[in-house]
Formats: sequence, structure tokens, C-alpha cells
Amino acid sequence: MLPHALRRGLSVTGLLLATSFSAAALANETVTIQHSSGETEVPVNPQKAVVIDWSTLDTLQQLGVTVQGTPSNTAPELLKQYRDGDFIRAGSLFEPDLEVLQSTQPDLIITGRRAQGQYAEVAKFGPTIDVTPDPKDLLGSLERNTRLLGQIYAREAEAEALISKLEASVQELRKLTAEQGNGLLVLTTGGRMAAFGSGTRFGMIHDVFGLPQAVDNLQVGRHGHSVSFEFLLEANPDWLFVMDRDAAIGREGVAAAQLMDNELVKATTAGQKGQIVYLDPVSWYLLDNSGIGVMQTSVETLIEAFSAANR
Amino acid sequence: MPGSELTPRGASAPRVTVWLIILLALVVGLALWSLNVGASRMSLLNVLTGDPDDRLSKILFASRLPRTLALLLAGSALAVAGLILQMMARNRLVEPSTVGTMEAAALGLLVLAWLAPGAPLPLRFALVSVFALGGTLIFLAVLRRIALRSALIVPLVGLVLAGVIAAAGALLAQQLDLSQSLRAWNSGDFSAVLRGRYELLWLAAGLTVVAMLAADRFTVIGLGKDFATNVGVNYGRLMLLGLLLVAMISASVVVVVGAIPFIGLVAPNLVRWLCGDQLRRSIPLVALLGAALMLAADLAGRLIIHPFEVPSSGLLAVTGCLVFLVILIRGRKQWA
Repeated sequence: MLPHALRRGLSVTGLLLATSFSAAALANETVTIQHSSGETEVPVNPQKAVVIDWSTLDTLQQLGVTVQGTPSNTAPELLKQYRDGDFIRAGSLFEPDLEVLQSTQPDLIITGRRAQGQYAEVAKFGPTIDVTPDPKDLLGSLERNTRLLGQIYAREAEAEALISKLEASVQELRKLTAEQGNGLLVLTTGGRMAAFGSGTRFGMIHDVFGLPQAVDNLQVGRHGHSVSFEFLLEANPDWLFVMDRDAAIGREGVAAAQLMDNELVKATTAGQKGQIVYLDPVSWYLLDNSGIGVMQTSVETLIEAFSAANR
Repeated sequence: MPGSELTPRGASAPRVTVWLIILLALVVGLALWSLNVGASRMSLLNVLTGDPDDRLSKILFASRLPRTLALLLAGSALAVAGLILQMMARNRLVEPSTVGTMEAAALGLLVLAWLAPGAPLPLRFALVSVFALGGTLIFLAVLRRIALRSALIVPLVGLVLAGVIAAAGALLAQQLDLSQSLRAWNSGDFSAVLRGRYELLWLAAGLTVVAMLAADRFTVIGLGKDFATNVGVNYGRLMLLGLLLVAMISASVVVVVGAIPFIGLVAPNLVRWLCGDQLRRSIPLVALLGAALMLAADLAGRLIIHPFEVPSSGLLAVTGCLVFLVILIRGRKQWA
């Protein structure tokens, strides 16, 4: 039985697009893509694609595609093929460099969540698709985006293979989380921490992976709630997930582990059982787990953590 | 009383004593309340009546007591630092967060995160102090070169400098991808305070005591360099002491909890309004009022969306701005 989120991911439009359009599109060399900000006709196998979204670059890497343009920021380790070399550098994730887009005339532009507000501006400079995930259906969005990238680069079979593999892993993870008690996720920044619950940007730990929440009124706001260590003790989660925001940008020295190493956290069930999991901030924070490569890795990491606890 | 609020007048001893008692009671009351409020359901009564199991004493001694002490120490130290800075700048509309001291301290933390992320606490404190000192020095140096020192020019110069330092910090943070961290350091908040993580503030308390003992001489500085020299005070050395006090107090607060705005402005001005200008008698009042404001702001932050928290610096910034405006408007005649 597929969970709700998965069923929605295999929506009717997605299936239609994947099957009927692709054959015709190849002949015309274009394909019509339905995305988060509308519908756009884009060339198949674009020759000058600019992708201002790390997660999309991750998915494309999994599909075996290298694009011509990336964000200007230094690429994370897992995308190191884009660190050096002759790529178009098209501004920050939040603010695409419109002048670069104008001068380079890409035949495909892909923007993500952080630049969603700029979509209309960016779309003036070439066929643009917006892959912002639906926060209520993160897994479905990821699958949809993987499929549409497969279509654009004529790698539908590879896309489906990645999706099936991920779905199997998610199923395995959900079986494990069903019997592991509850969990709480905190993000640490500059020595402070905020808690995130279902429906937030890190809510997939509950919403997709099925772990019950240790505190059930945590939903409000994408940026979470500032909390104290006393809050952690009171919430007393069986599993504590910690994401070090400062490490997302390569500051491993100021470890969240140091922040969490205190008597109150140690007194929680998670602390006593050693069930504190440090999540990879590049996957979870920088890429929002919205690329199929990082998502697969995140799911596998959690499977490993939960299986170890079962033994 | 109306119309004369901001004119200096001597503090009569009984009046100061009355306020001392009132503020002391207020601080004690707020401190007890602070011990009683937190994300968990534990209340002080549980400790007195119920069996104090391990968890209760843990919450009290590892979390609430350190937090309450941190609030007391930071609040009183910042209030006194604000007062000293006002004497040095000879203007009552300045304080460490409006002249660049706090901004420079946060910039120091940013540079540390960039170049020496794992630096031990003493090194962190020393480096942030140097930055805070630099920020304050720039302000005082610019001030000395401005011939026309109307009362309003001084805080404006401070705000401009603070803005420049903050902008430099923001630019660097943007380059280093540390904007969120810089934001955390710029908006102080006591939610992560625990036993073992606030003790640097005792140093701030020691500095506050030094400032109180030197208070008389700072009163003389407030009267100008010539006057100070005439009555036999070593102006240069005293200015250096004041600078060190302000910078190190600000640095210790920024390192432990982040920047806390407006306490240094509001507390001294309210005390002046209540008791007049004579520092020697009223400096304990300034410290107490600073502690009370800090406790109240943090308590509000803990209660508004309990069990989650609102950073107290945000609440202080809002109320501090309002008080700043009131002081400006009420004192208009005097500034004009």
C-alpha cells in the first residue's frame, strides 16, 4: 500500500506528461513542462541550461547530466564537478544575476525555492521552469521534478529507476520509524537553537518518514521556534535530530555536538540511549533534501541509524 | 514635575534610598518569577514542597538559576556601561548598541567564526573585546573632531558609525555564508544559557563593580576635560579605563548571549528622571534598573509563546525605541 504522499506524487498529470508527451516532444525537439509556477515549453536536451538550484543540479548529476550554468556560490562537495571550470555563474540562489542571464541567453533556466519570488523576472530571459517543492508533498514534488528533468534530458528510464529505488528505501524507513518512539528536530545557528515540526522545511522527518512528533504543536513558521534546553528536557524525545546550520557552509569546527553536550540533553531519552543523530546540513539545509541524490543518502543514513537501534 | 523631568537636579539621599528599596524589591520579585518560569512545568513550589528529585534540581540549578543570574549580571552591567559611555561622550542619548560597540563585537565573533572557529573562550573574549574597543574608539575619535556638538549630533554620529560597522559585518557574513549566524549574534537571547555557559558574565559583574567604585571620577569626566584636569583627575587614564570597561562589558555579553540593545540607554535615563544627575548615589539604581529591565524582557519572551521563546533583544529593541523617542520629544526644549 502506497502512503498518501506517494500516491499523490504519481498524479494523473505526471503520468500523462511522462508517457504521451515525450514521444511527440522528441520529434519537435521541445516538451511542455508543468512546474510550480505554471507551464513552459522547453527544448529537449538544451545546449545552454542554467540551473540556479543545488537540488536540481544534484538530481541532474544522478541522471548523468552536466549543465552549463550554476549559481555563483561555491558548489558543495557533492557537486564538486561545478567548482572549477568554464561554467556560467548566474548569481545567488536568492537573487539570480539577471545581467548574466541576459548576456548568455540560455535555452533553459531552472530556479528553485529560494528564488521563487524572482520567477517572473527570470522568465523574461529564456524558457524557465520553477522546481520549488510543495511543502505539503515534499516526496511527490521531488518525484515530479525528477521526472520532468528526465523528460527534458530524455532520460525517463533513468529517472524512473531512481524514483523506484527511493520509494523502496522510504518504505523501508517508514517500517523502521513505526516502532521507534518519537522524535524532535532542532537547527542550531550561532550557539542558539530552533525546533522544527511537521509542515516546516524539515518536517519530512515526520511527514514523509513517518516518525511521530515528540511535541505536537510545533507546526508554525518555516524558520522554526526558538527553544531552550529545558524545552528539550520537557519534550523528552526518543530521538533527537540536530542540524548544524553553521556546518552547512563548512564551519565544522563550531560543532552542534558541543552545544548539545550538556546535562539537560543527556537527561532526555534520546541522550540516555545515545539516539542523537546529527543530520547532514548540506542535504537537509542547503539542498532541502529536494535533490534525488541527497534524499536517497538521507534516507539510507536514517535507515542505518534506526536499524542500529533495533539491534 | 512636568516640564522639568530632564533638568539636572541633586539627588536627595532619602529619595535615592526609597528608590533603592523599590528597585531591589522589583529585582528580587522578577528573579523569583524567572526561577519559576520555563519550558517545563516545574515551579519553585515543587522544590519547596514536593520531593526534589534529580530532574527538578537539574532544571533549577542547571537551567533556571544560571539563566536568572545571567540576566541579572548582563542587565546591570549593560546599564552601567551605558552610563559610563554617556559620561565619556558627554551625552545621555548614547549607549553601546547605538555607537558601534555591540556591532563591532558581533563583527569580532564573525571574524572568529571565519578564521578560528574552535577558539577557546578566553581567546574569543579577548578578540571580541578588542573589536568592541575599536568600535568605541572610532566613535569617540570621530566625536572629538566634530566642532559643533549639539546634543542630537552625538547620537546621530553614533548611529551612523554603528550602521557602517553593521554593514561591514553584513557584507562579510554574506561572503562567508554566515548571515544567519550574524543575525543570531546581533539579536541576543538567553535561551541557550546553562550552568557552565554563562560564567564569563561574572567578569562583567566585576567590571561593573569597578565602574561603580570609579563613579565619582566619571562624574568629573562628564564635566569636560579642562574641568577634570583642574580638579586633579588624570583625564587620559580615566578615559582609557572607561573605554576598557564599556568594551569588555559589551564583549562579555555579546560572547555569551549576543547583542542586547537599549538597556544602557533606558536605565540611566530613567534613573536620572527619578533621582537626578548625581552619579555616586544613583549608580546602584542604574544597575538595579538594568537588571530589572533585562529580567522583565526575558520573562516576557519566555511567556508570550510559551513553551517556545521570543528573543529578549527584540522586545527590548521595540520598547527601547519608544523610550528613546519619548526622551527626545520630552527633552526637545533642552536639546534645541
